Amino acid sequence: MRSIGFRISIWYALAATFSLIGLSIGGYVLLEKHLFDGLDLLNESEFQQISTRLGPEYQNISAPFIEMRIRETTESASTLFYIEIQKPNSEVVFRSSNLKNSKTPEFEVPSKFNAVIPEIGEVRVATFPMQPFKAMIATPLHTVRDVMSSYIRVCAALLTGMLLASLVIGLMISRMLLAPIRIIRDTADRIRFDNLSERIQIGEVKDEVTDLAVLLNQMFDRIEASFTQVNRFTAEASHELRTPLTLIRLHSESIAKDDSTDIKTREKAQTLIEEVDRLTQIIDNLLFLSRADAQAVSLDLKPHSIKKFLDNFKQDALVLAENSNNSFELLTGEDREVNFDPRTMRQVLLNLLSNAIQASPDKGKIVLSSFIKESHWLMTMEDEGKGLAPEQCEKIFGRFVRFTNFKDQSHGSGLGLAICRSIVQLHHGKINATASQNLSGLKIEIKIPCHGDSFFT
Amino acid sequence: MTLSAVCYHEHLLSMKVLIVEDQLRLGQVIKQGLTESRYTVSLARNCEEASDFIFDNSYDAIVLDLGLPDGDGLDLLRKWRQSGLTVPVVILSARDSVQDRIRGLDIGADDYLPKPFSLEELQARIRSLVRRQSTIKTTQLRHGDIEIDLLGHTAKYDGQALELTNREYALLEVFMQNPGRTLSRTLIAEKIWSSNFDVDTNLLDVYMSRLRSKLEKPGQNLFKTVRGVGYQLI
Repeated sequence: MRSIGFRISIWYALAATFSLIGLSIGGYVLLEKHLFDGLDLLNESEFQQISTRLGPEYQNISAPFIEMRIRETTESASTLFYIEIQKPNSEVVFRSSNLKNSKTPEFEVPSKFNAVIPEIGEVRVATFPMQPFKAMIATPLHTVRDVMSSYIRVCAALLTGMLLASLVIGLMISRMLLAPIRIIRDTADRIRFDNLSERIQIGEVKDEVTDLAVLLNQMFDRIEASFTQVNRFTAEASHELRTPLTLIRLHSESIAKDDSTDIKTREKAQTLIEEVDRLTQIIDNLLFLSRADAQAVSLDLKPHSIKKFLDNFKQDALVLAENSNNSFELLTGEDREVNFDPRTMRQVLLNLLSNAIQASPDKGKIVLSSFIKESHWLMTMEDEGKGLAPEQCEKIFGRFVRFTNFKDQSHGSGLGLAICRSIVQLHHGKINATASQNLSGLKIEIKIPCHGDSFFT
Repeated sequence: MTLSAVCYHEHLLSMKVLIVEDQLRLGQVIKQGLTESRYTVSLARNCEEASDFIFDNSYDAIVLDLGLPDGDGLDLLRKWRQSGLTVPVVILSARDSVQDRIRGLDIGADDYLPKPFSLEELQARIRSLVRRQSTIKTTQLRHGDIEIDLLGHTAKYDGQALELTNREYALLEVFMQNPGRTLSRTLIAEKIWSSNFDVDTNLLDVYMSRLRSKLEKPGQNLFKTVRGVGYQLI
């Protein structure tokens, strides 16, 4: 959620802000040009006034006279304008009193430029030809600079406002845009094996999102169909296999109990019963695996204390290990409420323990450790057996895989670890096998999220 | 349906059981087996027949298969329970999942036996259901020289207190509740661990040998191993 919505609003805010920055810069340039043009116009009209005042025969008038006439004109505007008239060799003919002794910039006629006059500051200069003299009229620029800096302040305030407003608007827009996607996500998340027939509501307006929803619904249709098929198949297979097995068992039982039958036949019937039980176990395991593959098994993942669970398991583990002349040790870290199903998790541990016992030498040590790390429940089962080669470690969770290092080669159905993996995966966890670092044998590690959320989301 | 203890024994001899099973051969094998144990057995092959039998007779227990040709056994059971039928029902099912089991018990079944099962186990379950309805609750159980206190979770043998672990005591209690009966491994595992997974391991055998070593004197046999089924307290 955070990602797309967040990105949309960030992009929106950036786009809006950059547009405003562009506009502000354009405005700045235009406004400044406009203000300079105004000053140039002022300078020009002042020059016109001076020219008029001096009259057409100004070449013949003596310098003091020129000065007198100009002073009359500029008396009122003496603070506004800085005026200087030079001979072609830059010798000063007239200089307004407000210029004092400051050095004026070199200039060509006619021209307009900005310059800095010492002790006066930045000015806008306009120069005019006044044969044979050249005239310079300058106006202070501080008014323009004041306006421009106010403009920048206003723009900065606007930009900040814009950035905040566009972030908010962007978030709102992204929420609005993503609302249908959120609905899809929530529905898809809600659809589990027990409400597989639920579908995403399709809005009335046809757009890209409804297309997606339609596609997803079609996918759910297919999943539901194959799910139903698996369920029906396992139910039928289960029924078709168990009924004849029951008959075999019941008949074998009646032979085994019949005192008039000879003892050898009764022994054989007894073996039949045991084989029926083994076969039943394999069928149960296979059906469990096929249902787990189809996600058709639901575990009741509720918070349970791991300490209580492990202490309970320890009682039986000690007895089992002792019986095979091995020792069992439980190392536990902090207690925590973890979402798991104790019944199936106990099956996993019993399976691992039974494998460890099979692999252990006489007086071997089996260590189960449990600890919490970064909101995951980690359990490891280690033994002192011969261990397995790394390439074997990856394969042992497959179906009908048998260990080569077992004392009793006929032990189990070869499905135990496959079931362990299915159960752990139903807990959204992971299971893997490596060589034990502390002991000589195998280390099986189980990692389960404490709060039942998936590793993969 | 509360019966006195005296009546219970007479009752056991002529226990009437209805089997609802669509597979004719299986139904007949069960019927034969139960008849040999002096049960009076009726066999119904579909929902309709079953309802007719229920209407005309009174049974002590019903053995119900779930997959019937004209309907689901669970629906039938629900109908019976809604109409006030209190006869104990054992469900026989090819469905093994826990959800099915829980649903069956929720609807009102008293026990759930997955196929394939042993005839002895079926008999044991029927007996324990009928008994459950009739026995008076006690806090002390006695069988031979063994004595257990259900409240204090303690056991005595020959007047001597026994030192048993929780599991060993639980195991002994299961046998004391059903003396002289063969108890299947599945049934014992369900009672002690509320799960039948442990049947895979030899955990139960290990506990049995521990219990035996604590109770039996050399040469003495208190428990009988019934091959392929389970154990029995003699």
